[in-house]
Amino acid sequence: MATKIHAAPAASTGDLALPRSWRWRDPLLQYGIALACLLLVAAPILPIVYQSFIDRPIYEDGQALTLVNYANLVGAPEFREVLGNTLLFAFLSTVISQVVGLVTAILVGRTDVPWRRFFGDALLWTLFVSHLVLALGWVIMYGPSGYITGYVMQLTGGQPWNLYTIPGLSIAAGLSLAPLTYLYCIASATQQDPALEEAARVAGAGPFRILFSVTIPLLRPALVYSTILNFVIALEMLAMPLFLGGPVGLRFFTTFLYEQGFEAPVKDYGLVGAAAVVLLIVITLLVLLQNRLLRNAQRFVTVGGKASRPRLLRLGRLRWAAFAFLLLYFVFGTGAVILGLVLRAFTSFLSPLVPLVDTLTWDNWTFIFSYPVYVRSIVNTLEIALVGGALGTVFIALVALLVHRSRWRWRRQLEFVALYPRAIPGILVGLGAFYAVTLMPFLGGLRNTIWILVLIYIMRYLPTGFGAVAPTLMQIGQDLDRAARTAGADWWTTCRRILAGLIRPALLSCFAILFIHFIKEYSAAVFLYAPGSEVMGTVMLSFWAQGEAGPVAALAVLQILVVAVFVVVTRKLFKVKIYG
Amino acid sequence: MAEVVLRDLVRRYGEVVAVDRVSLTVADREFVTLLGPSGCGKSTTLAAIAGLERPTSGFLAVGGETFFDSRKQVFVEAEHRNLGLVFQSYALWPHKTVQENVAFPLQLRRIARNKQKELIHEALALVEMESFADRYPSQLSGGQQQRVALARTLVYKPKVLLLDEPLSNLDAKLRDRARTWLRHLQREVGITTIYVTHDQTEALSLSDRIAVMSKGRIAQLGTPHEIYERPADPFVADFIGTSNFFTGEVMEQASGRLVLRLADEQTITVEGGDGMARGSRATLAVRPERIHVGGGTAGSLLKGRITERAYMGARWLYTVEVGGQAVRVETEADLASGEVALGLPERDVAVFPAPAAG
Repeated sequence: MATKIHAAPAASTGDLALPRSWRWRDPLLQYGIALACLLLVAAPILPIVYQSFIDRPIYEDGQALTLVNYANLVGAPEFREVLGNTLLFAFLSTVISQVVGLVTAILVGRTDVPWRRFFGDALLWTLFVSHLVLALGWVIMYGPSGYITGYVMQLTGGQPWNLYTIPGLSIAAGLSLAPLTYLYCIASATQQDPALEEAARVAGAGPFRILFSVTIPLLRPALVYSTILNFVIALEMLAMPLFLGGPVGLRFFTTFLYEQGFEAPVKDYGLVGAAAVVLLIVITLLVLLQNRLLRNAQRFVTVGGKASRPRLLRLGRLRWAAFAFLLLYFVFGTGAVILGLVLRAFTSFLSPLVPLVDTLTWDNWTFIFSYPVYVRSIVNTLEIALVGGALGTVFIALVALLVHRSRWRWRRQLEFVALYPRAIPGILVGLGAFYAVTLMPFLGGLRNTIWILVLIYIMRYLPTGFGAVAPTLMQIGQDLDRAARTAGADWWTTCRRILAGLIRPALLSCFAILFIHFIKEYSAAVFLYAPGSEVMGTVMLSFWAQGEAGPVAALAVLQILVVAVFVVVTRKLFKVKIYG
Repeated sequence: MAEVVLRDLVRRYGEVVAVDRVSLTVADREFVTLLGPSGCGKSTTLAAIAGLERPTSGFLAVGGETFFDSRKQVFVEAEHRNLGLVFQSYALWPHKTVQENVAFPLQLRRIARNKQKELIHEALALVEMESFADRYPSQLSGGQQQRVALARTLVYKPKVLLLDEPLSNLDAKLRDRARTWLRHLQREVGITTIYVTHDQTEALSLSDRIAVMSKGRIAQLGTPHEIYERPADPFVADFIGTSNFFTGEVMEQASGRLVLRLADEQTITVEGGDGMARGSRATLAVRPERIHVGGGTAGSLLKGRITERAYMGARWLYTVEVGGQAVRVETEADLASGEVALGLPERDVAVFPAPAAG
């Protein structure tokens, strides 16, 4: 064979030696990435915590440490009311979302209900719409002077319901959160090893017995996870409590922060800081609890080796009842809310008393495309979503590579930091960033620009993007990078030349998810936008209050359209996976 | 040129000691195999040499260059060691073609493009994979992938070739061929090679020397012949080939001979056993194919009874009961069940002190 080739192999090693490379590059990059992540996450939190312990606004001189803010908070007459309202609202909406989410997931995932494929997709649609937009839709349709409310009133002659109560608000929020529960449960329900159910069947259990003794118990991790997730989202939700509770003076933690920190003419900074810290601690504890509860989730791992399809439960005569339930839920929970927005966007006035044709108009649309604030908000939002989504994807990829693909010393701690924003409500991210910019003069250049929004959006959705990249990264065999390392590539070269190519689909998904969230986001921006850096969410928030319902509805419809087009295009063209 | 020196290498994972004070010197161009059952520390040792695992303590040098020294706080990262490692999984990058896979190490070394081409061609020719240069790894069979992995490693002429069970994913026939081919290749390239496997056939047929590992330590280091013929302890005797063990009391030990009395009063005389005191307990190991059925040899005779017989094609495998103990015997003779005499040649029996709890 080829003896001639390697006549003097030992001697020839010389000209194939590794180039003298800069051995500090890897550690430098690794510490740099980690430091950037730490700063990004800590920057909004520390000022809030600090503010809660000082006796005057954070930007004033002569600060003294004090606990008086906490005493004031506890002593404040509204504190009890705020606390009670928040907990009741979060509890009710979580219960509603869990029940509806679980029932729909089982119907779609495990039974022979008609149209299950359609519902399988359609029930997720609300996930792509911001709570702010949904809140507007609810008000337009089901509010005291809502379209559907008006209809029913004509029929019955009395006020049929009051959306502006804690139960009313909880129903609106609960139905908006149910798709998340549905998403977690359906993923877990369709992955269940059918052998587990068949074993129960062989043991003599009937279909409903199986459902309650095997299927639902196995969904426990999904339920636990989504229960805490939804509870946290309800706690930190701003738009629905603001729009549905605000008009009748119902106050919640987030709306309290919004009023005291944003709208009040004389702001009590210390009180806001203390309330923010309390909220932060509560949510942090919940997230830690979530992690702890799922630590032993291994015993619920049900994915078997075989890829056979689970047998569907036959509902018999109940089939059409189940269908009716799903249809009603979809039509009144999602369809009507979106339809309301669309109708309002194309009318000058929306009331069941006036025929629709008489009020149809393009005015709202010409208005939003001619009025500078609206146009700016659209351009800014798109710019933030595109540029921020791209930057965010790169940054998240770097952090994920460092956490899952290196032997860097502090990688576990870094993962904790990167996932921590899960526990920070959007409104607090905005408030904290506002303080941070005020405090640190060198950040002054960012003030009043969309770049501060890009930064805090990335920070807020760090865990979400991380969740899109990390699983793929963990599935890639370690040997692939070990092979590159022994061949002479340092960590950074391995990431760039080997791993980046392998995780491209995950990066596209990450970008898509960030894009959608950035379009929808509003709560983190309320404290930070300024003339020139408005986004769609903040414009809707402030102009709705000023009574510009038509243009705001048009803007909301536009937001839905942007996301819908984006989702369809990325799914078709790039086969990007967004939610399952 | 590229001598590999390990001194007192230790790798701990918390309480678990995966590699326990391993010392080994592999000479230039030598082929040494780390052989042992899974969990014996052989792969961790290899990963430590490659630089993928940082040892807890000890010393490691290749070709005179210190790669790890716990006392001087020296640790050279894998990418600066210029060693070659072939993985059990082959670890071909799925998004690169064969040619791009092989080119990657050269690109890292900033080799000029036409020189790269030449080297890639050489390397692929060496493993007879030239015609597959434009394929993706997923379009290759296991054996082909394994060759490409080897080409990717040899292309940059590493100082040492490290092989981590490279044949274990191939089917039996292919494995035999690949083994012969690999041995030829290593001789031809003349590269220092450290090979990790749990397969004794591979170890015996490929290696210049074998280090048998158990529980993180090297149980025995020697040529294949030494390892097979003179196992250092019962573990090696049993792991390399199979052995029958007899444990009993030492009757006498004199002039290089030892007489052992079994529980049923039968005695065995063997060579060796120096320094074992009369009255102490000892274990003997003898391989199934070294036992002479029907006696007829210079050595001890044991009485037994054939209880099971299995036809293996070329030979028979018998289970013979001796003093309540089952003994495996392999022979070409076709025997009927019943009483039989077993001859144990003195020099084919290894003797060890019996473990404390015998």
